[in-house]
Amino acid sequence: MTNDETEVAPVRGLIDLQGRLIEADPRLETLNNRAGGAIGQIVAVPQILAVSRLAQRLGILISRAVVAAEGDGDLDLWIKADPVPAGVRLEISGWRSRAAWQPGTGDVERAGDFVRSTADWLWETDAALRLTFLSTSAGALHGFDTADMLGQPLTGLFALGEDSAGTFPILGGLAMRERFEDQRATLRPTGQAVRLTATPRTDRSGVFAGFIGAVHVVASETGNADALETPVKPSAEALPGAFAQRLDAALRTPLGRIIANADSINAQSEGPLRQDYADYAADIANAGRHLMGLVDDLVDLQAIERPDFAVAAEAIDLAELARRAAGLLTVRASGAGVRIDRPALDEVLPATGEYRRALQVLVNLIGNAVRYSPQGGMVWIRAERDGDMAAVIVADQGKGIAAEDQVRIFDKFERVDVDEPGGNGLGLYIACRLARAMGGNIVVDSAPGQGARFVFTLPYRGT
Amino acid sequence: MDDGALGGAGLLIARATAADARCEQRLNAAIDDFFLPDDARLDDRMRNGIAASLAALVAGIERALVQHAGRLLVARGEPELAIALANGRPAMLDRLVGAGLLRDTDLMRELIARVRQDTIGDALAPAPTDPNAPSLLARLANSPEPGVAQAATRLFIAESRRRGVIDGAMHTDLPAELHHRLVWWSAAALRERCTASGPAAALLDRALAETALHTLSAHDEGRRLEAAAMLLASAVEALPHELPAVMTEALGDRRIAMFIAFLSHAVGIGFEQGRDIVCDPDAERLWLALRALDLDRATIARIGLALCDADPRRDIETFADALDDIAAVPPDRARTALAPLKLHPDYRAAVSALTRGTKA
Repeated sequence: MTNDETEVAPVRGLIDLQGRLIEADPRLETLNNRAGGAIGQIVAVPQILAVSRLAQRLGILISRAVVAAEGDGDLDLWIKADPVPAGVRLEISGWRSRAAWQPGTGDVERAGDFVRSTADWLWETDAALRLTFLSTSAGALHGFDTADMLGQPLTGLFALGEDSAGTFPILGGLAMRERFEDQRATLRPTGQAVRLTATPRTDRSGVFAGFIGAVHVVASETGNADALETPVKPSAEALPGAFAQRLDAALRTPLGRIIANADSINAQSEGPLRQDYADYAADIANAGRHLMGLVDDLVDLQAIERPDFAVAAEAIDLAELARRAAGLLTVRASGAGVRIDRPALDEVLPATGEYRRALQVLVNLIGNAVRYSPQGGMVWIRAERDGDMAAVIVADQGKGIAAEDQVRIFDKFERVDVDEPGGNGLGLYIACRLARAMGGNIVVDSAPGQGARFVFTLPYRGT
Repeated sequence: MDDGALGGAGLLIARATAADARCEQRLNAAIDDFFLPDDARLDDRMRNGIAASLAALVAGIERALVQHAGRLLVARGEPELAIALANGRPAMLDRLVGAGLLRDTDLMRELIARVRQDTIGDALAPAPTDPNAPSLLARLANSPEPGVAQAATRLFIAESRRRGVIDGAMHTDLPAELHHRLVWWSAAALRERCTASGPAAALLDRALAETALHTLSAHDEGRRLEAAAMLLASAVEALPHELPAVMTEALGDRRIAMFIAFLSHAVGIGFEQGRDIVCDPDAERLWLALRALDLDRATIARIGLALCDADPRRDIETFADALDDIAAVPPDRARTALAPLKLHPDYRAAVSALTRGTKA
């Protein structure tokens, strides 16, 4: 199960009981000579000498992957050292050059983590492709007994299928001992369509020792109708639910830690630092916060694009919500030198919508207005009734939005101003979807140079 | 509760006094920490692993209790109590740690040993004996002997379940006695989440006690990884000449629990003792055990190499130096030296406790 055919054939050698190189194929002799050794002298490549000494002392065959320097580069070598009466017999394969430096730890495990992070459930096999691990959730999810599958061939659980190009990715993975992706398959017990991804595990001499794999359940084609019936197109690239959840779980904690630590470095709470390092830490924290915002938005995006997304119809006061949203942004606004003019405390604007979601929309609109306002600028927030709708108007003194851009900015991953830092192009899209899900809308009117005016409407709630 | 200015001052003074005591405690802890011998200190990976296992175990029990007790309370007309149980405050783990209950020698012994075993197991390098043949456990799962096949499948499932605990799935597979303690402690901590009095309090207590009993009766000790591994070892009943192959293959398949079970069963000790022996970086007892089984030098070398590679606390050079001496130990002397290990663990614990008492 190796691909030794595609590599240099194993190179042989013999080391005597004193550690001298007695016999060597030309490739090994060259390596040894370049390291300053010669036939009949102690082996000059320390890694090879160490493995052969260990094999001799333990009296068993030892396989080790080592990295040996040759010229400017490094060589990946798989050494097999077999003790014999005359000394130690060597068989060395690999002989691949590698860049002088690679991150050194746990490549396989890390690759495995990546494979796992997005999966619905996981599997592993041994070298003979017998299943040696299945997530306990798999059986409950699909309705089969994992006990019947463990120890059985991989193909007993998955009926493998070819991809659109007529190939089987798993065969390539097996032959090349590499990660494969997107292997189509169906679960034999249930007929459920799945995609398989896996990364190989190898033993110490580089021989294939099994796969660490993941299963992505392929959603059925039916039942995908857009229940929202909004003019915004249903997305063809909607994120699968499990992915968004795992993304959320996998990223939020580490990002939170990055941000918290970067902030405390920036605050120099553990001791004085050179100012430029403290400033770098602020950059790190800001970038972390940006990513955290993206995670929030992706999770929201996933939620609102689900066919069964629903919002609550609560009695809310839009004027109060607008004041609250403005309050949440006061710190950011004063940091940017922007003033917010919010609805007066006694103003009331009854409407129907979900409190949390409406607040989210307003925070997004006012946040945008603050971001695009010039230093010393002003953001106006007005709450007023417009027929049977309740409207909050958020106006800024930014550079405005050209007529041709006013539709585009509500699309996914679009930005009001692509040159402006911050924002990921999801906020307005999500806000607009939320407004429409609550029976309202967001419209913009603006002209270049005259600031932008966003109007967020919800159904008015008459008494 | 006194919110007045005087009360505030009193609070401040009380806090200052407490801070003084805490400062002293921290210093004492720091001194203890500094003088700990290196080989007794937990490294960060172990600390993290223990914390994660503990959190997962407590969360699993908490969830089971809250769900069941919640259903009972709703059915008995106390939905507010059910909601209070589910509010998550105070956090269960914090409460149990704060009360010092988790500082339980038996519980920590089990957790530390388990995490140590998992850490070594994860670090084992795969070394399939024959890359074209199914691995040992897969072969055993397909054994024509129903007892062996069933035991192998149970071990497969128990390992998947144990890894699931670490990946966030909730199954408590502690020994029954520890499981009992943890369940009752958790039930008692849940009680504090409600401020019920009178008949409601009595109802709450009854519901929590019933729930705890229900959870305890659902616990099947035989499904634990350790029990499943021992069951398999006794079903396989490897003959002396088969032992070297199955033991090295178990390590090569990265099944540390199976390796420990084969060893423990063959030597005639319990899994927990076998685990201590295998995971102890001072490997003298392991070498004696391997010699007691009359394993040859090459097999001991393979096992020692695999464990040295998987556990940074072991030194391959020291092992290589000692190998000839190890191989020279006569099996009957090794068996005699190990005999005390086979005595009942409680008896051994009593003997050593008595000895300590005499010295003191």
